[in-house]
Amino acid sequence: MRAITISGSVQPRLTSGVRLQTDSVTSKSVLLYPEGIIELNETAHEIVSRCDGRSVAEIVQALAKEYDADAAALASDVRETLFDLHRRKLIEWT
Amino acid sequence: MRIPRPYALLAEITYRCPLHCPYCSNPRHYCRATASVADPGADRRSAHPTAALSTTRAIADKGELSAEEWKRVIREAAALGVLQIGFSGGEPLARRDLEELVRFARETNLYTNVITSGIGLDGNRVRALRSAGLDSIQLSFQSDESSLADEIAGASAHRRKLDVAAKIRDAGIPLSLNFVIHRRNIDRLRRIIELAESLGAQRVELANVQFYGWAFLNRAALLPTREQVIRAREIAAAAKARLAGTIDIFYVLPDYYETRPKPCLNGWGQRYLTVNPIGDVLPCPTASSAIPYLRFENVRTRSLDWIWQESESFNRFRGTEWMPEPCRSCPQKEIDFGGCRCQAALLTGNAANTDPVCEFSPNRTLVDAVLRDINSSSDHVRDWIYRVNPNVKSSVA
Repeated sequence: MRAITISGSVQPRLTSGVRLQTDSVTSKSVLLYPEGIIELNETAHEIVSRCDGRSVAEIVQALAKEYDADAAALASDVRETLFDLHRRKLIEWT
Repeated sequence: MRIPRPYALLAEITYRCPLHCPYCSNPRHYCRATASVADPGADRRSAHPTAALSTTRAIADKGELSAEEWKRVIREAAALGVLQIGFSGGEPLARRDLEELVRFARETNLYTNVITSGIGLDGNRVRALRSAGLDSIQLSFQSDESSLADEIAGASAHRRKLDVAAKIRDAGIPLSLNFVIHRRNIDRLRRIIELAESLGAQRVELANVQFYGWAFLNRAALLPTREQVIRAREIAAAAKARLAGTIDIFYVLPDYYETRPKPCLNGWGQRYLTVNPIGDVLPCPTASSAIPYLRFENVRTRSLDWIWQESESFNRFRGTEWMPEPCRSCPQKEIDFGGCRCQAALLTGNAANTDPVCEFSPNRTLVDAVLRDINSSSDHVRDWIYRVNPNVKSSVA
């Protein structure tokens, strides 16, 4: 697997035209975009719902604090999820 | 059988359209009820006899659904689980209450998308759609430059579309571009992609024409040659790779040249529903014309929930029980669902047959005969018949 390199200072955001919403049928989190819907698992939901201007490092810190988890271990999950959503053009960053 | 929930509603709010594209997937006869009275002067462009026939079968009193009726449909769709709505047609901008419907759908928490030719979209309407909460616009183009594009559209449209694309972009509404690809524009694919790049689209759909509605009538003029298809596939693949991360390119293959059928709708009555201008609820937008012997229910007499769950039309091809051989024992049956019911109906006369595109279909010879005709012929440009508008009773002044 390719190493995922995203700088901690990057600020991920939902791409314009992508909406995060709760599916009222399943109560799960979904991303809606032109001609597409993807269901987010809980990890992805926790990450994406924090893509509000915060940096990757800040998102990792917030999650580590909230779940009392190891930041280093979380960081790779966060990067992997963001990288995947970025590849699908659902997340962009500045 | 467990009934799934729908994800997306295609709201065909009108069949009226300022363009006359010969590949339009709208029904050639429209629905009997959309045409009110015969208007022999409605379209002199076409000598097609069935256009007049449809109006003689008209039921005069039923027009397009009103805004209030559409709002009920939208509410019922959201309650069923629908997450996305596409406003389409015809040309949805032909209705002045489009903005009102978009606003209502957005307030109902649906993801809203307008699928348009762009004709009728001025700065004011772009802003009104923006403030109504519109999530995305899909703008169609016929080619990369105006002489061919306008010939295909049967109207002077291309330059106005360029202007509209800029206005959409300036308003910050996410823009997708749709190009229908066929024999007359497929050789311009490279330039078409360049146009999409220059217009700042996020997403580009390069969809080879599918043969329903007017396109089925005009198939001999629209189906590309094998040579064209091979070249186009390479160009599309190269552009997709080059533009990865910038523009999402979706290239829809011409299915007659495939050996396995497309997984149409991801299965009949599984994810999608269409409501047409007079309120008929269809598993697929082309079903009312391709499969006229199925009885389609109407939102004026039934709830959307009942139609989705209980109606004969939605249950007829749900799941795999309806399948004949070779589908029934095929390991692909949960992957392609036997292909497209409308295509089976149009080519074989029976919607319950395997899609003849499939190499295992006993009717594949029907597709091969069409391909042989196209590929052995030297007359590259054949005439087509332009789409005519229904003489429709509009609910909006």
